[in-house]
Amino acid sequence: MDISDEDMLARLPGIRIDHDNKAYYRGLLQHRLLLNRCKTCGTWHSPPRATCPKCWSWDLVPTEISGKGRVYLFSFRNGVPAHGNPSEPSAVAAIELPEGVRFTTTIVNCPKADIRIGMPVALVWVEEDGMPMPAFQPASN
Amino acid sequence: MTTARFPARDKVAIVGLGSTQYTRDGGKTAPALAIEASQQAIRDAGLNAQDIDGLIGGSWNASPAPVYMQAALGIEEVTWTVHHLIPFATLVISAMNAVFSGVCTTALVYAGLNRMPGLSQSASKDPFRQRMVNNLGGLQLNGRQIPGLSSSYSGWMQRYMHQYGATREDFGRLCISDRSYAADNPRAIFRNTPLTMEQYLDARMVREPMCMLDMDIPIDGADAIVITTVERARDLKKKPVIIHAATYGQVIHAEDDQMPSLDNFSKHAVMRNLWPKSELTLKDMDIFFPYDGFSIIYMNDIEMAGYCKRGEAPDFVKSNWDAKTNRFKINDKILVNPHGGALSEGGNQSAGHVREAITQLRGEAGARQAQNELKNALLISGSLFFNTVGLVLRTE
Repeated sequence: MDISDEDMLARLPGIRIDHDNKAYYRGLLQHRLLLNRCKTCGTWHSPPRATCPKCWSWDLVPTEISGKGRVYLFSFRNGVPAHGNPSEPSAVAAIELPEGVRFTTTIVNCPKADIRIGMPVALVWVEEDGMPMPAFQPASN
Repeated sequence: MTTARFPARDKVAIVGLGSTQYTRDGGKTAPALAIEASQQAIRDAGLNAQDIDGLIGGSWNASPAPVYMQAALGIEEVTWTVHHLIPFATLVISAMNAVFSGVCTTALVYAGLNRMPGLSQSASKDPFRQRMVNNLGGLQLNGRQIPGLSSSYSGWMQRYMHQYGATREDFGRLCISDRSYAADNPRAIFRNTPLTMEQYLDARMVREPMCMLDMDIPIDGADAIVITTVERARDLKKKPVIIHAATYGQVIHAEDDQMPSLDNFSKHAVMRNLWPKSELTLKDMDIFFPYDGFSIIYMNDIEMAGYCKRGEAPDFVKSNWDAKTNRFKINDKILVNPHGGALSEGGNQSAGHVREAITQLRGEAGARQAQNELKNALLISGSLFFNTVGLVLRTE
């Protein structure tokens, strides 16, 4: 299913979408978490940029990640309710991906007290302000 | 021993100093405050507007552009201007570069700040603040829907606690030290409000594990300094404060959440490069100005300076604690942020640290004046991430 630029911009209001990150945001609308991977040297990158920082190739392919990872950094936005659990604050976590980059988002389906550095997590999709958002939840491995 | 090329060593000096009072709702714009501080700094140097031929302005939180300040101060002609990203210590290096190269001879460095409307309920009720423009000074936050910066500081704080077993009390001690020092600083927002550990532990969480007391207090206020050549400085009325060594530092992937690890921050790059540019070492430093926009930066900077190893700052602070005054004081001698730092004086992106270093080195700090002989000051400024700076200031 193709999504036109106009449709994408209309469905993701208020977000600074540009030519470097439009593939990432188009992926959100399809529930696909796409990060740039260099076709020349195979390195993954985040956030989206025009070229590969490692080999300077322009041949980047927005590629779906495995969806696995581990919590590297986490903190809470006190006063902002967690998805599906308004009695606890929303977590912000940088997830270390096996692809070799970190991706920062929220953690869901996990009590605040159970979040740990190093905890295995898996990708899951939630809605925020009517927009699809990639999140992570506890996983067995 | 110097091992790096640094021809600007001891060639440029700070000769003028000006600061407004700090308030939370002063009713003055950031440009008005910048003008007030700048006029003071130029007068303090014994100069007038036409002596200024370089303008280096902070760009954060509505601080005005050089084109505005030139007109506002009535400066007929300038030969260099920059509108610069924080911290203030970076502006000092930028002015040093301009004066040393000769692109200008006498530079005014300034930053004027207004509290942004989103920062508190009272600020959000101020109708004038609602129309203020927050100029992030070219800082490009990633265009994403997920929150970044302040959450990353608290994320790295959490990671620091996890890796080294640090506790909230360890961070509380730094906040208490700043608050105790601030009692001697008439400009400090928190000059009359000593802080106890119980109050710290009870404070409202904002970005857990970061509570509101771990974050600097937003202000309306401005600071300015005048910088010129050492030769010219010797003919002026104030004791010159000389820039001995200076560096910026940045490591790859200094974007908040991608930063490599606690063992390779941009501050590591600062310290790898500062001492090789200096003829001095940490042992020669008589006063210390870590940056404390967030308490995790303060903790980090104690280790970065080299006072102790990675992860040992909590114990180092405990063993260098002056229980009589509730202050962190190194070897019972070296004062640390004697103005109260950004946490207690006010958040000024290191302008207060630079101002206090100059004031102390001049011997003009009054009740706060260090009792040891002051020749050299160490400043480590800026965030954990991308805008990190080291400065060694000295007197002759």
